[in-house]
Parts: sequence; structure tokens; C-alpha cells
Amino acid sequence: MAANWFSAPAPVARRVRGYFAPVNRTAQTPVLFDPAEQGAFNLDAPPAPWISLGWIQEFTRKPASKTSSVLTGVPAATGSQVRETLEAQVSLQFLSWTKLTMALATGSQHMNLLAPASGAALAADGAQAATAVIPQTGSTATFVALASADAAKFAAGSIIALDVDYTGQTGFVGSPVAGAYVRQALTNVDYIRRVTFNVALVSQVNSTGLTLAEPLPGGAPAAGARLQAVTGFVDREGGSFYQEWSALFVMQGSQGERIFFHYPRLQTMASAEETAIPLSSKNPGGQARVLLKGQFLALPVTDPLDGERVVCYRSFLPAAQALV
Amino acid sequence: MALRARLAAINPERTVLLRGAVRPGILVEEAEAPFSQLPNDVFVLRWLGLGVDTDLGSTMTAEECEILYQTCGTQSFGGLDRGRSLSEMDKELVAMLQPFYTPKLNYTATPAAAMLTQVFWDEPGFGPIMVQRDQLSRSAKVMVYSYQEQGE
Repeated sequence: MAANWFSAPAPVARRVRGYFAPVNRTAQTPVLFDPAEQGAFNLDAPPAPWISLGWIQEFTRKPASKTSSVLTGVPAATGSQVRETLEAQVSLQFLSWTKLTMALATGSQHMNLLAPASGAALAADGAQAATAVIPQTGSTATFVALASADAAKFAAGSIIALDVDYTGQTGFVGSPVAGAYVRQALTNVDYIRRVTFNVALVSQVNSTGLTLAEPLPGGAPAAGARLQAVTGFVDREGGSFYQEWSALFVMQGSQGERIFFHYPRLQTMASAEETAIPLSSKNPGGQARVLLKGQFLALPVTDPLDGERVVCYRSFLPAAQALV
Repeated sequence: MALRARLAAINPERTVLLRGAVRPGILVEEAEAPFSQLPNDVFVLRWLGLGVDTDLGSTMTAEECEILYQTCGTQSFGGLDRGRSLSEMDKELVAMLQPFYTPKLNYTATPAAAMLTQVFWDEPGFGPIMVQRDQLSRSAKVMVYSYQEQGE
């Protein structure tokens, strides 16, 4: 069977889609993206565990690896080159404020503001929280079964955080994403729920439990998990924890071709920063969209194919029938 | 034709009776007999400027498309809903233009034959509402791009 072909010019793309997946900090295992197997995925439904962060803008890749010349002969001339340092940076602006985009765009822990207990003393990152409730058997990623008295404490439209109690452990905490690194034992039993990424919006409440508008990132509640209401989010300038995620950026060309930038390990390299973009260019002092600005440093992985250390994979899937 | 199919899915009730046939309410001005005035409640496409870039692997053409539409509202509301009717057409146009691409088809053959590339376009630029007595009208402009294929 014969096929026709065309000579494809440089890809024309509108915007960039961003996807992130949690690095297993304890095992230091990033999430890999295989463009050969997964490259044709539906951009609105990425393969697990990738999480779509929607469109991003001002996506900029900055290679910062340094190469130097090895000079030989008289007069000296470059005989070869060596790569002295391996470094790359990525910056972008998120077009939404969510738990995940805020966390990615901050330089340290990103915390949930747990609903406070009645009369609790004021605290900059949220007062002492109301007592957590225990999910019942039969819970799933989108439904948290509760005793009717506990279900009555929540309302449709509220946000929940679900994770285990803090019991003095050190190291990375939070499931399914490490939300913080505890260097010395703390006393706050709610600490893991303060830093957990296992949050969701409640869409419906009845006497048997909570129906969620989106699945919990961690899936069905794990044994020992407890539930608390969240009123918002907070992060701090300072701290010693660095967010680390695997990232995938996709440019979809006008002819169906795709360009992928896969960073197995991206660490936040700048503190929280926002940028305001006026909604109307004719009125720069008027309403402005406040965008989260993310700046990341790419960390290396060792490619098992040949043992080379790399920080990014760029893949290209050509348009159908395009000359290559 | 792609927009026509999309409009039929978005609002099947927006139709026009043309040359004895009821069709989705969108037409290309140059492909019909000249109008003394544009029909109400119908999208009318008009092709404007043309640009060509021949320095590419495949020649790219860019053609500006103006989409005009107007309404007097509905009789049942005495035309007092003309603002809402125009907003409805604004919404339908935005929906019709997404996704911002469609397969390129060769309509010189019957049935139309699929080609290799896709036609694609930018977001629409909407003009202001024009008021003429009880009639509201608007036009939107879209830059449409395509690649020239072998044999074209």
C-alpha cells in the first residue's frame, strides 16, 4: 500500500500544557514518561500518575550547562569539548490557583489551613484544628463514608484534607505526595494533614458521607487516615523544604504533531512570586489577573540506556504523513 | 463545512432555508447569490485578505475570515430579547471555532476527499455591536491558515 506525504514546516502551537507527577522522595524515584508508549495520550486525560495543570504561559527553558574547550597544539585550537556542568532551568506562569499550582510555585512547604477548633488561639499558618473524623469502610477515591454525626460537620462546597495522624515520625511525610520533610519530631497531631496533597472539594453531603467533586489524589482512604475541613492554603517565605516533582510539558502542533519536554526531576528554585497581567491593555491600572510564577531547577537522572546523566528529554512525534 | 457541522451539533434549531433546502444557519457569502441585505440570525462568512509564505517546507497560506451576524430578536418577545439573541450567537461562534483546527478536505472530488494536513486558525477577534434601528449586528475576524499540499 502506498502513502502520500507532505513536507511539514516548523510546528505551529498555541500554548503549552503542563503535567506534574510526584517524585517518590523517600525512594528518590521520579515518574518517567515514555513518549513511544504514552505519546498519543488524550491531553485532557493524562496517564496516571500525571496530573494536568491545564494551560501554562511564558514557558521558558534555559539550558545552563557549561561547556569548555580542550585546546591542543601550537597555536592552541579547540580539539574537543567537555561538559563541565549540567544544569537547566524552567520558568512558567500558571493560569490557575490550586493546591498543586500554589505548591509548585512556592519554594517550601505548602500547607492546608485546617478549619479551626472553636476558640483556638490565632496562628499565622492556621489555628489549632477542629478534631479530625474517621472515614468508615466503603470509602473510595470519590466518596468518603462517615458516621452521620461526622457527616453533619461538613457542607457541600467545603474542602477536605485526608491523611494519617502525625505520631512523631521524621523524614518525608504526606501521602501520596511528600508534603514536607520533618527533621525533628513535632507535637502537632494534624501536621501531616496540614501538608498533605490529598485534598478535594465536597460536592454533596448526606448522612452516609461526602461525595467529592474530584477524586482524592491518594485514592481510597488508607488505613488510619482521618479527615478535616480545609478553609484555604498558606505557604511561607523561608523554610528548608524543596518541592520536587516530575514534569511534562506538551506543545501540540497545528498538524497533530507533538513536542514533549520531560523533566524527571524539577525542584522549585525560587520563593513564591506572583505576576499581575492587566486584563485590558487599554487600562493597565485596571483589573489584572494574578498569576503564580514558577521557577524550577532541573536535577539529573541517570539514563539506564547508556548510563549518561541527563536533566531533560525532548521528544517529537511528527504529524501523520509528514516527511521526517 | 466543518463549522456547519459543528453549528448543527451546537444549536440544531439555527437553520436557514436556502435554495429550497433547510441547512444549518451558516453560509459563505461568495458561494451564494448576492444578498441585498444579510439574513438575520445566520452566520455569514466573508473572505478578506490573503497572505502566503513560500519559504517553508510546504507553502503556508493565511486568509482572514470575517464572520458577520445580526439579529432583531424574536417575535415572541417583540424584539426585546435582541441583546440576548446576539449574545447567544456570540457564544455559538466561540463554540463553533473550537477546536481550532479541522482536517483539510478536497471538495473538488465527490465525496470530499481527506487530505494530509489540517486547516487551523486563531482565536476570534470580536468587533463592537452595531445598532441599526431594532437590529443588532456584530462581526468577528479569524485568521485561517493552511498548508499547500502536493498537486494543489
